[in-house]
Amino acid sequence: MSILKSQYEKDLYPEIADTIDDATDFQRDLIEIAADRHAKGEIDRRGFLTALAGIGALGLAGVPGGAKAAAGELVVVNWGGPAVDAYQAAFGAPFTAATGTKVVIDGTGPLLSKIRAMVESGAVTWDVCDTGAASTLVLEKAGVIQAIDYSVVDKEKVVLDYAYDYGVANYLFSYILAYNAKRLDTAPESWADFWDTAAFPGMRTLRKQPNGMIEAAMFAAGKSMEEIYPIDLDLAMGKIKELRDDVIVWGSGSQSQELFRTGEVVMGNIWHTRANLLNRDMNGDVTWTWNQGIATAGMWNIPNNNPAGTESAMAFIASAQDPQQQVELFTLMGNGPANPAASDFVPEDRRWANPGQPENWSLQLTQDARWYQAESGKGDLTNDALARELYLDAMSG
Amino acid sequence: MPSSLRLGYWLLIAPALGAMLVFYVWPLVQVLWLSVTEPYPGLQNYESLFGNRVISRIWWTTLEVCVLTTVITVMLGYIVAYAMTIVGEGQRTGMMLCVLLSLWLSVLIRAFAWVMLLRGNGVINEGLMSIGVVDEPLRLVRNQIGVLIGMVHFMLPLAVLPIYANMTGIQGRLISAARGLGASPARAFLLVFLPLSKPGIIAATILVFVFSLGFFITPALLGGGRVVMISEYIRVSFEETLRWGQATMLSTVLLFAVFLALGLVAWLVDLRQVFGAR
Repeated sequence: MSILKSQYEKDLYPEIADTIDDATDFQRDLIEIAADRHAKGEIDRRGFLTALAGIGALGLAGVPGGAKAAAGELVVVNWGGPAVDAYQAAFGAPFTAATGTKVVIDGTGPLLSKIRAMVESGAVTWDVCDTGAASTLVLEKAGVIQAIDYSVVDKEKVVLDYAYDYGVANYLFSYILAYNAKRLDTAPESWADFWDTAAFPGMRTLRKQPNGMIEAAMFAAGKSMEEIYPIDLDLAMGKIKELRDDVIVWGSGSQSQELFRTGEVVMGNIWHTRANLLNRDMNGDVTWTWNQGIATAGMWNIPNNNPAGTESAMAFIASAQDPQQQVELFTLMGNGPANPAASDFVPEDRRWANPGQPENWSLQLTQDARWYQAESGKGDLTNDALARELYLDAMSG
Repeated sequence: MPSSLRLGYWLLIAPALGAMLVFYVWPLVQVLWLSVTEPYPGLQNYESLFGNRVISRIWWTTLEVCVLTTVITVMLGYIVAYAMTIVGEGQRTGMMLCVLLSLWLSVLIRAFAWVMLLRGNGVINEGLMSIGVVDEPLRLVRNQIGVLIGMVHFMLPLAVLPIYANMTGIQGRLISAARGLGASPARAFLLVFLPLSKPGIIAATILVFVFSLGFFITPALLGGGRVVMISEYIRVSFEETLRWGQATMLSTVLLFAVFLALGLVAWLVDLRQVFGAR
């Protein structure tokens, strides 16, 4: 990469290197949702702010302009907004109570380019970064993050597929088949049904990017859970072309919700958090099936030479594996707990909305970030880049 | 012209020229440079212009949308401009206001407004269905039709204004003379007025076509992901697939396509006359 390009990346387009990770988009979407709920006073009823004031966490949260670690402090960086308070309440306060180490949640966003620049310039100010599975692989390749110490972090306390060498899942989210039950005679149960425009007439919505969509296309082509990866891009794009005349694409999470709300679509492949909001806002008209859902994860990373030291950062990640803390975050923000044991602590009436709940989890495919980051063999493109180009073409052709 | 006066002129335009060089020409040179150095030096990025099926298809889509937009816009614009020359003073002011008003509205707002109007359960489809013209909603948006509607609407003022400016310079006496010599109204229009308004038509065509080539927001919103023009593909190459070499190559080609279009027209007509410099 030329100097010019990396300069541009840092100064002009700080997000460029980061759009490749779905978890990044998803997290920003969660924040949008939470802000919305907060505005409607829905988070308040949980005594959210009162609880924060009680533990004295409010003063620490959201240090403007980026936090800098002081002695005995640990800086956790996420995407800001209500996520700052939510992380403080769910993970920060318990860790401080147990270890005496103050936790500062920095909401400036763990951009990959920023993490990389910090490590390479030797001025690391973050201890734990909240990224995603794909980002973890990219950062690992760049050699700027530390291997997870699984003698401290418990592999048993995270869903099997998302304990990577250099990152470990902190929450789960899924692409699911959402539908408007009011406008369909029978409920669609699989992606094959989603593709069946004769039996299920009406417009559908798919995401503008292929992640999560091409897996659905593979299912629709009759592939079983075990046969999805490696994705046959020709087959998947063929299925997309087959359906495209009945498709409206969604770019942002709020847009996917809008398409259902205005009645423009009857079905969609959207994030479970948005389907959940639709279900509530439309009095249950919109619902979804976990069957053949495509699940993926947000992940913790630790940059090289983090200020608080490896030990403290690992201890924080281990502490955040606590099932009750994860359920707290689920309640506040909608992120599915990554610890399978957490499902027992999810309130009975919310279990159907939790992607990691065993009965929901077993129906879903875990998205393989490694396949996306692998070389495609065409030019110097990764499967991710190749899929994006082909998908754009298939959708518009 | 005395050389001191010439120097004075140069000094006067120096600030603007300097700003252009630093903030426009220099970044442009960098883009050009990237297109032959990313990911490694050579012309391999330009090869894909011919060998890559996806890229060729997107160029054809772009060309198709631009040509259709230009033809429709200039025709509609001509009619509006002609009407403006023959109506009364008050009506003319009203028409001009409407044209300018749509020029001043944000392109984003206009695109969203079109989505609201044109979508399956939007005002237009609901209206048509309620009076029984159609049984099921027409697909007016999130396809090429939607893109064309949005783009023509956006470009219309850019066609009306130069054509109108040109038409006001045409002397009405010439038409009267033609009529006096026995030409029918249609004949007088076709043989006298239309040729005289040619510079306006050409100016409008260039403006609209060149603007259309790089259009981004309207196709993205009204095309609903189904109509991908070259600027959207450049964005994806920059931001999503990180193929900077390819993105800068396409940007460069787009730039030269504009130069080519201008060059072609300059060869056909006198540009200075078209833009009123003479």
